[in-house]
Amino acid sequence: MWSPVAERIDPLESMPVSPYARLTRRLLWVLAALVMAFLYLPIVLLVIFSFNEPRTPGLPITGLTFDWYAKALSNRVLLDAVRNSIVVAAIVAIAATVIGTMAAFALVRGGIRFPGAARVFATLPIMLPGMLLGIAILIFMRRVLDLQLSLLTVVAGHLVFTVPFVILIVAASLQGFDRNLEWAAADLGADSRRTVRHIILPLIWPSILAGALISVTLSIDEFVVTFFTVGPQLTLPIYIYTQIKFGVTPEVNAIATLMLGTTLGLIVLGMALVALRRRLRRGKEGS
Amino acid sequence: MTHAMAGGHGVPPAEPEAGRQRRPLTRLWPALPAVLVLGVLFLGSMAFMVVFSFWRTVDLDIVADWNLDNYVKFFTSPTYPGTFVKTLVMAAVVTVTCLALALPFTYFLVRYVARRWQRIVLLAVIVPFWTSYLLRVYAWQAILGERGVINQVLLSLGIIDEPTRLLSYNNVSVYIVLVYVYFPFAALALYATLERFDFGQLKAAQDLGARPDQALRHILLPQIRPGIITACIFVFIPIIGEFLTPIIVGGTQGVLIGNPVINFFRAGQITQGAAFALIIAAFVTVLLIVFRRHLQVEDVVARG
Repeated sequence: MWSPVAERIDPLESMPVSPYARLTRRLLWVLAALVMAFLYLPIVLLVIFSFNEPRTPGLPITGLTFDWYAKALSNRVLLDAVRNSIVVAAIVAIAATVIGTMAAFALVRGGIRFPGAARVFATLPIMLPGMLLGIAILIFMRRVLDLQLSLLTVVAGHLVFTVPFVILIVAASLQGFDRNLEWAAADLGADSRRTVRHIILPLIWPSILAGALISVTLSIDEFVVTFFTVGPQLTLPIYIYTQIKFGVTPEVNAIATLMLGTTLGLIVLGMALVALRRRLRRGKEGS
Repeated sequence: MTHAMAGGHGVPPAEPEAGRQRRPLTRLWPALPAVLVLGVLFLGSMAFMVVFSFWRTVDLDIVADWNLDNYVKFFTSPTYPGTFVKTLVMAAVVTVTCLALALPFTYFLVRYVARRWQRIVLLAVIVPFWTSYLLRVYAWQAILGERGVINQVLLSLGIIDEPTRLLSYNNVSVYIVLVYVYFPFAALALYATLERFDFGQLKAAQDLGARPDQALRHILLPQIRPGIITACIFVFIPIIGEFLTPIIVGGTQGVLIGNPVINFFRAGQITQGAAFALIIAAFVTVLLIVFRRHLQVEDVVARG
């Protein structure tokens, strides 16, 4: 594994160094490394098993193969499940971001009487056990509304806990927003729509984006709520669960590895783009 | 309608020319879709669950026959209160372990690691969330199981003669995996407060004659207490509702209170399951209200 401490700095180099300080720091380093190993051991194994020959993912490692990737990519049920998960996550992320951002404006600016209560209410769907949300929504959909379960009910279930995340994140950044900017815009003749578009949104978009990303992350791997609200069309976590009950094949490890690779790839790409933009901007300023 | 309700929170302290141009950035209607989603889907479905919990299930059908039996059954049962207490103990032990690991971890990160690298380490702590939760937990079987990594290592080192079963399908395996799953929440919550801490204060304390441990205890700890409480909430509360980790790695010994609830629903005992689920929910809600000031969700999720 990589070492996170390549360029160590001590902000307090002038601090009186006790004979134990160096030792403490070493011990902390070892502990941090062990923690990282603890976090990554299952993931490393998960990836290794996707290349391992035996039918059940596990030890021992007998031989390396790409068979499971080939099988996974020709497994219709699995691929459908992946597609369903992506579709649900996309719809959930877009809907939750729009709904949540609008609500955050009202929450911070609308002069709601009990902001504390509103906060607890918005936090409840996040903090209550997913089991409870899933069961409640299942009862509501099936027994009260008499709806058939489908991907739509899954989307509905996911909205219940993603909307609050977006509300809380966007509200936090709106709270720290300097309203003088808005009044300045108004003084200069901007109506409120233009103020939102040209002043507020450009300043708070990082938190809106963060809300959207969290929604995708939560939705795509959500098992518990999906478990109760899913119909005949499976999502990936549900497919994996049925596999775990009836015997996992390394196909799911292959898919999980591909998904991990894709997300990591996107992150690296995103960071590279941010770095590139910064460099370009700096270049422009310099010239 | 919005003006009538203005007051308190969203109003700037010194508003130039009261009442001018406050539309529509101060309106309430944008909250409507969210109110619908949370009001109907969340509150509405919860309300029906409360109603059903006082009804009866007869031959898999819900019958509107008001009674308290579903609740009475929980408190008079020989097993469920015990399982509930066991779940709380498990949650507490996991929380303490997560803090004991996350405190030195984040302290090291903030104090001794360059800022650039801090971001990357934090990202690395979050990355596991982007792989399947189920598969990550499942992978622990390959570590703790009878033919798992730990047993293989211990056997080949000659420390044990035959594979130990002490680590699989019991409370120990559930404990280890729960620490694994919830550590990142604790780390993120603590990082958020430690990052704001001015380490110069420690030096000042030591200049004034405090021993390093005194400085940590009297200067650092009080200031990061909010983060510690947030971390506790984000580890303790979700564990109360855990049922999946016990299903995958817990075996029969490792069950938590979420498992019987799930089993009632699987068996079609909806009203009974609803009552049990609501007992858990009531407990969690009380905790949330008590600790409402520390619900810094955005600190825990919107980082890295």
